[in-house]
Order: sequence, then C-alpha cells, then structure tokens
Amino acid sequence: MSATAPHSAPDSGPDLGPDDYPLSVNRQDLLRTPTGKPLSALTMEAVVAGEITPEDLRIAPETLLLQATLAESVQRRQLADNFRRAAELTAVPDAEVLAMYNALRPRASSREALIAIAENLEGKYHATVCGALVREAAEVYERRNLLASEEES
Amino acid sequence: MTATQPRSSRRTEILESRPVNLDGFVEEWPEKGLVAMESDFDPAPGVRVEDGRIVELDGRARADFDFMDTYIADHAIDAEAAEAANAVPSVEIARMLVDPRAGRDEVVAIGRALTPAKILDVVKLMNVVEIMMAMQKMRARRTPANQAHSTSAKDNPIQVAADAAEGALRGFAELETTLGVVRYAPLLAIALQVGGQAGRGGVLTQCALEEATELELGMRGITAYAETISVYGTESVFVDGDDTPWSKAFLASAYASRGIKMRFTSGTGSEVQMGNAEGRSMLYLEIRCILMARGAGVQGLQNGSISCIGVPGAVPGGIRAVAAENLIASWMDLECASGNDQSFSHSPMRRTSRLLPQLLPGTDFVCSGYSAVPNPDNMFAGSNLDVEDYDDWNTMQRDLQVDGGLRHVRDSEILQVREKAARALQAVFAELDLTPISDQEVEAAVYAHGSEDYPDRDVLEDIKAAQSVMDRGITGLDLVKALERGGFHDVAENLLNVLRQRVSGDLLQTSAILTGDFVPLSAINDANDYGGPGSGYRLEGERWEQLKKLRHVTSAENPETEVS
Repeated sequence: MSATAPHSAPDSGPDLGPDDYPLSVNRQDLLRTPTGKPLSALTMEAVVAGEITPEDLRIAPETLLLQATLAESVQRRQLADNFRRAAELTAVPDAEVLAMYNALRPRASSREALIAIAENLEGKYHATVCGALVREAAEVYERRNLLASEEES
Repeated sequence: MTATQPRSSRRTEILESRPVNLDGFVEEWPEKGLVAMESDFDPAPGVRVEDGRIVELDGRARADFDFMDTYIADHAIDAEAAEAANAVPSVEIARMLVDPRAGRDEVVAIGRALTPAKILDVVKLMNVVEIMMAMQKMRARRTPANQAHSTSAKDNPIQVAADAAEGALRGFAELETTLGVVRYAPLLAIALQVGGQAGRGGVLTQCALEEATELELGMRGITAYAETISVYGTESVFVDGDDTPWSKAFLASAYASRGIKMRFTSGTGSEVQMGNAEGRSMLYLEIRCILMARGAGVQGLQNGSISCIGVPGAVPGGIRAVAAENLIASWMDLECASGNDQSFSHSPMRRTSRLLPQLLPGTDFVCSGYSAVPNPDNMFAGSNLDVEDYDDWNTMQRDLQVDGGLRHVRDSEILQVREKAARALQAVFAELDLTPISDQEVEAAVYAHGSEDYPDRDVLEDIKAAQSVMDRGITGLDLVKALERGGFHDVAENLLNVLRQRVSGDLLQTSAILTGDFVPLSAINDANDYGGPGSGYRLEGERWEQLKKLRHVTSAENPETEVS
C-alpha cells in the first residue's frame, strides 16, 4: 500500500489464524511501524536518543490488514471490515480525519460536499471502502432529510 | 391542623425511613416507551430477503426504513441466513443460550442473523437466572475484568494520579477519567496515564470527552482507549446526539486507524429520557443500538443503561432488562463493559442486587466503572460502587468464590504506589514545565481519601498549563521521556510498552486488555470456552489464594492473630 510496505499486497497477506494472536508476541516478524522499523527497535534507549517519533508509534496499514485477517478467522466479519476502512484511513492526516467525521454529522453537509469527501478519499487516498461508506451516508441522509440546507453547507 | 392524620404504625414509620424509599419508582407507560421489555407496542419479529438484501425488517418495508433500520439491515444482520434463523422458534434459541451443551460459537452464529424484534422475543422468555447462565457462556473474554473511574471534584490531577495508581494495584484493567471543567482535560488525562502506569504496568486509560476531542487525545497517545462514543436506538435521538450510524462507523475506523482501542456506549432508557422513544420498549431500542454497534465493526460496547439507570431502575423488571442488554451485547459477540456505574439507589441492599447479574456470571468489565474515588469526587455523577465499598466487594468475591476483578491489597503497598504516582506526576509536570506540584501535595496524596484532603491548586495556572499541552502538541512519547528524565524508569517503560501496543494493533481485537506482562488478552487468545460445570473460567489456584485475603482474617494457627 505504501513504499515502506514490508510485506505483500493488502489482499494477499499471510494466512493468519487465532494461534498467531497476539501478533506482538507470536508474530513480531510481521510487524513494522509506518516508518519501517521492527517492534524491537522501539526501546527506551532509542526514545532517549531521540530516534523515536510519534510516527513510529502508529499502526501501519499492513498491520491493520493482518488484524482484519485474524478477525475474519474468528468469524468477526464487521470487525474485519472496520480494520480495512482503518487501514485506508492511516494515510489521512489527523485533522482531515476529524474534519471528515464532523462533515458526516447530521445536517452538517450538503450532498455535494459528501460526494466531494468520497471522491477525495477515493482519489487522493485510494480509500475506496471509506469512500463507499460516505457515498452510502449521502444517499441515506438525502432520503431521511439529514443533509445541510444550501446556505448551511 | 385540625384534621387528624391517620395514625401509622411504628413499623410503617421505620419502613418509611429506609433508604430504598428515597428511590423513585413509576408505573409503566408503554405508549411513551416507559416500559422495560414487555410492550404491546414493540413490533413483531419478521424478516424478508430478496436478492441477498433485507427488504422487510420487523414488519417495516425498506421504503419506510429509518436510518437505524437501514444500517442494521445492511450491515449488522447476516442476510443470507436471516430467514432461516428467524424461523427457529424463539424458545429453542433461548434454550440454546442457557444450555451449556450448545457452544458459544453456535449461539453466536445464529444470533448474527436475527432481527431486533426476534432477539427481544428470545430474551423475553428468560428469567434473570437464565440470563446469568447465558452471560456466563456468552461473555467474549474468558477472564472477567473490571473498570474504574478516577476523577476529582476539584479536577485535581494529583488526586486522579494517586487514585488511578491505587485502582490499578487493586486490579482494575481499565481506568477512565472525566472533568468538571473541560479545559482541564489534558492534565487529567496525563495524570491518569502516569498514575495508572505507576500502579500497575499495562493498565489502559481513557478520558471521556466530546467525541472529536476524545479522539485527539487518543491520537496523541495521551490516552490508550476510548469509550464515550454514544449511540441511540431511535433516529430522532441519534440526530439529537449530533451523530448518525455512518458518522459513528467512520469514527470507529478513525480510532482503529491510529491503533486505538474503542467501544461504543448505549443503554436502556436513554431514548425515553431524551424524549423520543417512538413508543418502543427500552430493551427493543437498546437491541437496535447493539446491532448498530456490531454493524459498524466496533469491537465492543459499554451498555447496561449507564447514565440513564434511573429510568429502567424505576419501572417493573427494569434491572432484569439491564441484565438482558448486557447479555445481548455479549451474544452479538461484542466486548461488554456492563454498567454498574452511575449512582442508582439510596439502598445498599438494592445497589448490591443490581450488581449481582453481572458480578456472578462475570462480564468483560463488571463495572464501567467502579468509582476509584469517593463518590462526591466522581464526576460521572457518582457510581453504584465506590472506594468505601472495596472491602465489601472483596468479601463478596471471597464468599461466593467469584472473580470481580479486584483484590485486597495491604495498606503499606497502597501508600507506596500512591506516593510513587504523585512523585512521578510531579516529575512529569516539572519536566514539561507545567504548573508545579509541591511536596506538600505529594504527601497529601499518599494519605488522602477525597479532594478535600489536598491543598487547593491554582486553577487558572492549571488551565493555562492544560492549554499549553494542546498548543505545544505534547504526546504520549513526551510523557515517556519526561518520566525517564525524571528518574521514573519503570513507569516510563510501562507507558512505552502501552504505546508500543498501537503498532501491533492487538488491542483492537474484541475484549482486549493487557496483562501485567504486557501480553494482550482478548476474545481470541482468551476466548470464553464455558461448556458447563468444570469448564470455562474458574476461580482457582493462585488467583483464588489472592482473593481469600481480606483486611481482617483470623489465623488458623494462632487465633490471636490476623493474616492479611
């Protein structure tokens, strides 16, 4: 998904099952920070030396897809779907994520504004599952009269 | 006063003065939704599927779906299996829930395809003991746990830190704070995190705030998880809460995208309290919330009426309905933080009876939370249990041989971690150039009970400091560095270990907590395997030896002495 991806493409990750959990104990080999570091690099010595940034303490999209595979292996389909949306959102900056959330609140956005968010997610971030969620919201909000009126949006 | 009052007996006078008569009770009013779970105004179960899509749900056609119906039909219910599953007689499904020979997986599988009205139809057949039997099996995590509140009437961060440390040491797996003055939030979130890690490495912390702010503190790594993501059972109340199922589902993904554990919150009585239950029973609406949560793919739910407990508590069978809503959350394969939080009754006896349906079978978090501060300091409007109940709680665990997640700890150990927490916070505030904490305040924290036992803080300076935490972009990593520089290496290591969990995402799985060795324990590697007597979680071995200890236990060898 990104240049630092240490492993295979999102849809063809390793075949994980319940015995691989917790990954932090059983499958550290599969884990990398978004900056490409292994979990073992996140030591106090490295923190003190200033080698660790907040970016090193985030989750990588590949890891979320591994967790999705695990969730699916125990029949938690919706949880897995949530992890897939989350994998897409790792690329979106914090402030933008918050703005998108606020835009999804009732009567906060026009239909056009929501479609623009969906297009942005799909185009700029390749976040197609998230884009579909926003499109679905636009459709339901229209039917349930939950879009912003012209002047509000 | 010429008319003579009818004379009452002395017994009546005594009964009148009992605390339970200070509680509020009302008659049912089903038309307005003021009814726990038995209402003629709830829809009859029904489902129709066309081309793999649910086109009719509990008597409502798709064209008439409100947004909850839409969300539940499209995301929560396994449409392929729906018609067959809903055709199974409710009594058979209720028996599966109770019968230990029906495995949890099998019962979860059929539950995935049921409609809200069908689920209600099933649990209506169950009395409270059957609900508890089912909860014992359906709880997602094998090992029960507990959650605490650590807050302060004066928003005093030293108090929050010291009580968090004590709570962590006593056994709470999660700690939650909130505010009197919202602008204090960053300082209290820091205090909770530092205090918690000083008490027991691996305890998870959160700060309950408005959704967007709560997310921001989580993104910075100052808090470890979030829970106050409220959902409601009617469209109108959901909108009054300024959210929709889609905004909440997006929020669920936003949290997961930062590696942060999160659960939703809902509960019986919220819709009628907020004035629009649309004539449905409290439990029917709560089932819609539970299904919405599952549809969103959030790993868990805090339910059990929560801040609306006075509403189901006032109507007949209300506390049975609360037990039922916890069961349904677990049955729908969600982590369940099962209430027993907001103050509920003036009667100690009634407070206890309200607690038993969760304490006896065990839930993922029996309380959500237990007040780890005196109730007057509890900024969640008090809790059903507080610090003054610790010894009673421990005794109940020992009497009934049940694990409610806590243990008796010797005073000397408690004083030690309270001091350590206060000192660590003093160091962090100094390192980060926040409002100073004096030695006098640290000493007060060691021996204090409530906020009145601490010197007053300079509130204006604290609020400025809190703002600077946000302005300067201070993160969890800065707290680790400050602890390390301040000489609190082990607390710094504990916090770094908690932050490292984000990278693996292990805490995102259902019902995850961290052991003292920083091993994630969730419904995957600690899946509930209850299958009748002799199976599942049993309070035995080392843990049972811990729970046999109380403040005063007479020695068998020497009846003149006590062991503790």
